[in-house]
Amino acid sequence: MKHFSQKRILALLLSAALLWMMTVTAVAAGGLEMSTDYPGITAKAGDDLTYSLDFYNGSGAGASVSLSASNLPEGWEGYFTGSGNTISRVYVRAGDNPSLATFNLKIPEDAEQGTYTVTLDAVGSGMSSSLELELVLDEIEVGEGGLTTQYAQQEGSADTSFTFSTTLTNNSALEQTYSLSANAPTGWMVSFKPSGESTQVAAITVDSRGSQALNVTVSPPVGIEAGEYTIPISAISSSENLSSELTVVITGSYELNLSTPSGRLSFDATANKESAITLSVTNNGNVDLQNINLTSSAPTDWTVTFSESSIDVLEAGATKEVTAYITPAKDAMSGDYVTVLTASNSETTDTAEFRVSVKTETIWGVVGILIIVAALCALGYVFRKYGRR
Amino acid sequence: MNSKRFFLIFMLLLVVSTASLGGALSNIRSAVEESSDFIFLKLFTTSGTTIYSFATFMAFLGPLAGITLGFDAVSNERSQGTLNRLAAQPIYRDSIINAKFLAGSTVIFLTVFMLGIYVSGMGLLMIGIPPSVEEVLRVFTFLLLTWVYISFWLALAIIFSVVCKHAATAALVTMSIWLFLSLFMSLVASTLANLLFPTSGIAGFANLSSNYTATLALNRVSPYYLFSEAATTILNPNVRSIGVVTMSQLSGAIAGSLPFSQSLLLVWPHLVLMIALVIAGFAIAYIAFMKQEIRA
Repeated sequence: MKHFSQKRILALLLSAALLWMMTVTAVAAGGLEMSTDYPGITAKAGDDLTYSLDFYNGSGAGASVSLSASNLPEGWEGYFTGSGNTISRVYVRAGDNPSLATFNLKIPEDAEQGTYTVTLDAVGSGMSSSLELELVLDEIEVGEGGLTTQYAQQEGSADTSFTFSTTLTNNSALEQTYSLSANAPTGWMVSFKPSGESTQVAAITVDSRGSQALNVTVSPPVGIEAGEYTIPISAISSSENLSSELTVVITGSYELNLSTPSGRLSFDATANKESAITLSVTNNGNVDLQNINLTSSAPTDWTVTFSESSIDVLEAGATKEVTAYITPAKDAMSGDYVTVLTASNSETTDTAEFRVSVKTETIWGVVGILIIVAALCALGYVFRKYGRR
Repeated sequence: MNSKRFFLIFMLLLVVSTASLGGALSNIRSAVEESSDFIFLKLFTTSGTTIYSFATFMAFLGPLAGITLGFDAVSNERSQGTLNRLAAQPIYRDSIINAKFLAGSTVIFLTVFMLGIYVSGMGLLMIGIPPSVEEVLRVFTFLLLTWVYISFWLALAIIFSVVCKHAATAALVTMSIWLFLSLFMSLVASTLANLLFPTSGIAGFANLSSNYTATLALNRVSPYYLFSEAATTILNPNVRSIGVVTMSQLSGAIAGSLPFSQSLLLVWPHLVLMIALVIAGFAIAYIAFMKQEIRA
């Protein structure tokens, strides 16, 4: 009997325990059940999460249930809303009540990476239900700002001012001030301007998780040679060092300038006499010019020769002096004539229009005076021969 | 200077100058519209609608002044019998002819410059634009040129007054030469040139240039033409060439005024020729007078 009773007691205990357990479940099953579709969420620090809460009331009668959240890590904020109001209690009718309330969870910016569990409790009318929300804070993106450019590779001629649309992104939880700099080659001008503004900035503050559009203007130096140039730009804050590269492709420009060293394009000449004019041929482009020919368009019967009628190579930016010998025609009138000199090669050309003032030689004036003197001498002879009688 | 004859010719020139100035002033507006350079010079070259310009009048009527002053210089003395008495005075004989010429020339100089300054002054008053230095130089040169030109006619008149017995003959001869050279020389020149280089027919095209050159050369025999050409060149800085201008000379040429020195060089041969003509004319008159028998 004793043995039996012992066994009975054990069995009783076991069954009691089982019964208790069953009762608990039964209460739960038969009473209140709070649930959400996705109890486990991966989020980022600073996110605002909302959980749609569904309620099941198995008690057969509606009940007012108070809602609370526990286990909230420090700095986290959780509250319940329904129909736009913050709520503390919810009335759960018998049966299914989908999306009856919403749980809002604000994760602070500085929340650390990890797995968090937040427990929601619903208690009322002898029924209770708790819901565990699991949060995995994935912080891979957090803190990693960015400096991105829409068209990071641009092409243009040497005198183009290139504008890059760059976006500076602050992904960190804190507002940051970035100092902007560019490590451009010598002579290049790089300026940063906030998009839509004309102020040139050296540093800029970007809100946490914000971004700032920047216009980066890049001006190549004068006389830059054709080619590809890389300009590293960087935005440096106390905790971040963002950098990006801008690429500028300078296309070749061919420009030739024909003038005189003094810039004067007029000179005096005498008919049928050679005049020497120093010309300066300048390569204003950024590519070496080959085989530059000097030609002329002069009035009829004029002759124009050059000390060298062709220049083999003229480096970019270089100037060469050439002498032109211009001989006006024998019967050129006094006064102004136009002579056009041209320097050209297969890529480019430039002309210089000279105003040539042809002068009559004064030798004829001297001859005229001599004739008058001769006539006066003859008169003197006449005076001598016939005079004083 | 006090003679009625001189007074008449002087008044004629004065009236003519005033008239030409009036004509120039009435037309200077349209002349300036064409080109606004050298407005002052336009006073001398712009002609009115019904009247010639000052330069043209000087070319045409200037000789009349020279002839008037010279045609009876010696013959009058001779016909009045004063030449004998004059020669009897203790003066050299050449002083007489020298004085005749120099006096006439001086009077011409005074007249020409007086008229020129009169026109300049009146013009300045009317248009109110002061002349530039270059314009003054050009006007001065033009007046000198006019003086030389009229002096030539004086010398010519004195030659005939020495050669001819009667003053009337001398006057007629010089006047006919004046009229011939001024009015008919151009006709004769073109007729002769057409005779030498006919321009009709196919061959005429080849002759065009030489025909024109010949006409020009013949015309230049006349001092009237020489003076007109020189005066135009001096008073109009845009004249770049005298004589034939070929197309090849024109290629590349741009309109522009010549500096004074260049204009002067252009007309220098004309000036030299006219001065030489004056000297030659005077020398001939001198020789003729000195060799002449005057005691008769």
